[in-house]
Amino acid sequence: MLSTRLLTKRYGSLTAVDDLDLEVGAGELFGFLGPNGAGKTTTIKMLVGLLRPSSGSARVAGIDITTEPEKAKALIGYVPDAATLYDKLSAQEFLEFSGDLYHVERRLRDRRIAALLKLFDLQERGDDFLSGYSRGMRQKVSLAAALLHDPQVLFLDEPTVGLDPQSARQMKDILQDFCREGKTVFFSTHILEIAERMCTRLAIINHGRLVAMGSLQDLRHMVGQDGQSLEQIFLELTGSREDDVSAVLRGLEG
Amino acid sequence: MGAWEGLELGLLLWRVQLQMFINQTIRSRQAGRIAGTIAGAAVILLAWSWEGFITWLGVQASHRVPIRVDTLHLLSLAFLAYTGVLVFSSLVFSLNALLLNPDLELLLAAPRSVESVLASRMVVQVIRLFVLSLLFTGPALVLLAIVNQNPLIPLAFAMLFFLYPIFVVVIISLMSLLLVRIIPVGRGREVLTLFGIALAIGINLANFLLNPALRDPGFTRHPGAAPSLPDVPAASSPWLPSGWAGRSAAAVLSGDWATAGQWLLLLLAASAVIFAAGSVLSGRLYMAGWIQAVPPRRRHAAARARRLKGKVPLLSPVLAAVVIKDWRMRTRDLAQLVRFLMPVVFLFVIFGLRFPRLLGAVRSLGDGPPAAMIGLIPAWILLFSLSISLGLSAVSLEGKSIWVYAASPNSTLRFLQAKCWSTALPVAVLVALAALAAEIMIRPGWLWAVTAVVLAIAESAAVTTLMVGIGAVFARFDWTDARRMMHPVGIFIGMGLFSIVSGVSALLLVISIALAAVTRFPLFTTWLAAMTISVGGAVAVAALSILFGNQRLRGLEVG
Repeated sequence: MLSTRLLTKRYGSLTAVDDLDLEVGAGELFGFLGPNGAGKTTTIKMLVGLLRPSSGSARVAGIDITTEPEKAKALIGYVPDAATLYDKLSAQEFLEFSGDLYHVERRLRDRRIAALLKLFDLQERGDDFLSGYSRGMRQKVSLAAALLHDPQVLFLDEPTVGLDPQSARQMKDILQDFCREGKTVFFSTHILEIAERMCTRLAIINHGRLVAMGSLQDLRHMVGQDGQSLEQIFLELTGSREDDVSAVLRGLEG
Repeated sequence: MGAWEGLELGLLLWRVQLQMFINQTIRSRQAGRIAGTIAGAAVILLAWSWEGFITWLGVQASHRVPIRVDTLHLLSLAFLAYTGVLVFSSLVFSLNALLLNPDLELLLAAPRSVESVLASRMVVQVIRLFVLSLLFTGPALVLLAIVNQNPLIPLAFAMLFFLYPIFVVVIISLMSLLLVRIIPVGRGREVLTLFGIALAIGINLANFLLNPALRDPGFTRHPGAAPSLPDVPAASSPWLPSGWAGRSAAAVLSGDWATAGQWLLLLLAASAVIFAAGSVLSGRLYMAGWIQAVPPRRRHAAARARRLKGKVPLLSPVLAAVVIKDWRMRTRDLAQLVRFLMPVVFLFVIFGLRFPRLLGAVRSLGDGPPAAMIGLIPAWILLFSLSISLGLSAVSLEGKSIWVYAASPNSTLRFLQAKCWSTALPVAVLVALAALAAEIMIRPGWLWAVTAVVLAIAESAAVTTLMVGIGAVFARFDWTDARRMMHPVGIFIGMGLFSIVSGVSALLLVISIALAAVTRFPLFTTWLAAMTISVGGAVAVAALSILFGNQRLRGLEVG
């Protein structure tokens, strides 16, 4: 469903994403992990067509996102990190706008909007301007907009940031249901517990390079210790500096 | 104590602002920004040279033709006028600092007293005003020092420029603390826009009340006041700071340092007391819960707006969606709405008030194209204002939400098409109405009136499209503020191209009249030919700008 081949993004002398090779199948809930500045957001933005790769290619359902962006984008739903929405539109109006952009037939669009507003518990605030929404509510609106055109692949960048525990749980359920329908979810997160519990497969990148990919069991084999938590695996693969941290903190006390 | 700590914190904040300025300009490592900085510095140098030259001319003229001018009153008047600028600037700064800038909470969380944090804001504002006043008057002061052979003149004026704003800044800061109690959080920008309008109206009103040309003929001017300037006798009162600053400045220029020092000391003492008292009082006001006390009101879409379900006749759903979304954004944001309505209001003020006198003069031209063309002048002024303000900002209006369209399965050309519809449509309608109203009043003959209105519609659609293209080339997605979303270079190019398109069109129409007179061709034929060439040329330029704009948007990366 989703594949990248030697995908690279350079900004001048800085290589944000370096020769990334990924394969994600249909029905997978794929977690994309990495420390801050590892290149997760840049990768996702290239996969949804917001950034142009410096070299390499990315395909969604066999369609190259760089050469046929409109065809590929029709199959994609995207929820950015800290989504900036149109403040002077209501949630209802924003979803109508989004549905029209994705060519959803009017009656179907209105039916889906009503269902999504109900699902995210936003019916009562549907006519309020988005400027009055909290970060979590905005996150829900942008997820509703991403689901509105029934995409084949859903990309989410840190989807649980700003959500309360109930909403985070609800989002997890929605994503799992989405995958059960044979569709693909590709999401980045810092919360390793969520990734550990939800994902069928995981990829870890560091400094723009893929350091590991596979199921949790595969990753455990990779580091050579069964029974390790994802957090321990992550820290080992990305070069944990726990000792340095302790030393610095001790230094601050002095 | 709070005032002293505020001074220290203010200097720290100023240093950070200076660092940010340097990082964004000469240390930005971006060729465009560095070039912009160099160009800006060149413009300042040019303006300084011009100011120095004008000052030198003034000094030479005063040596040759002695004019009896009351320097004290004139300088006091200048300081009083400066007070008006200070009031507005401080109000904008204070409200910005309290309602829009995100760093207030960061400062308040630091182990500093509330008084010192609020006082530091005042210090930053005073330093900013001080630097600006030196920037504006520096060359003139240096030249006066050279001419009078007195190097202390710039120093004395610098002290005045530093001390004079303090009382205004402190009073306005306190007022702002009271004002934010009634301004809901999140409406700060709109309130600032309203203050902008109030200032524009205030200037017009002051001009109406103070301009000698509009005054009662029996009014006796202050003796020695320059005849071409407005006069406020109270400006030089010894009870007002403008009088103190005026007296001190006049004494500096005449070399009377003792008098200059006395008035400067009075200003210093008063400023220090006001600053110290203001710091304490602002802290008390804050602690009493007077800041951001108004909860954000829940705003929702009106029932009428909800009925607009994204349908616009003849437009595809994607185009209609963008057009309706833009319309909603423009009409729901006060700053955007003002950009739309102000030109109409000013047009009414400019032409409406003088209408009867103008109409008689134009009607005396009789039937024919010259009267019809003159009737297009108000429509053209409206077109200039609307096409620049709406057309140039059409693409930037998306702001950071540009990702929504960029991630959707639609081309950039379709996006530009939608932007052309969303701006050209209302502009063409308003311009057509203005043209129609003028032609009905002027009555140049129905045939000429119809061609003039058709010309206005066609040109407004073409020119607005042109501006949309330029706006796409110079799009800024970092701003949602209507004042900042247009790129200055884009505005410059837009205005230049508008002038060229309008000038060429007018020239073609005049040539068509002359050609008909010389060659005996029917006037209507040459007129129609000129109209066709004029509109065709405008459409060609507009299409070119859309192509350039599309190229820019295709290469855009939403990072």
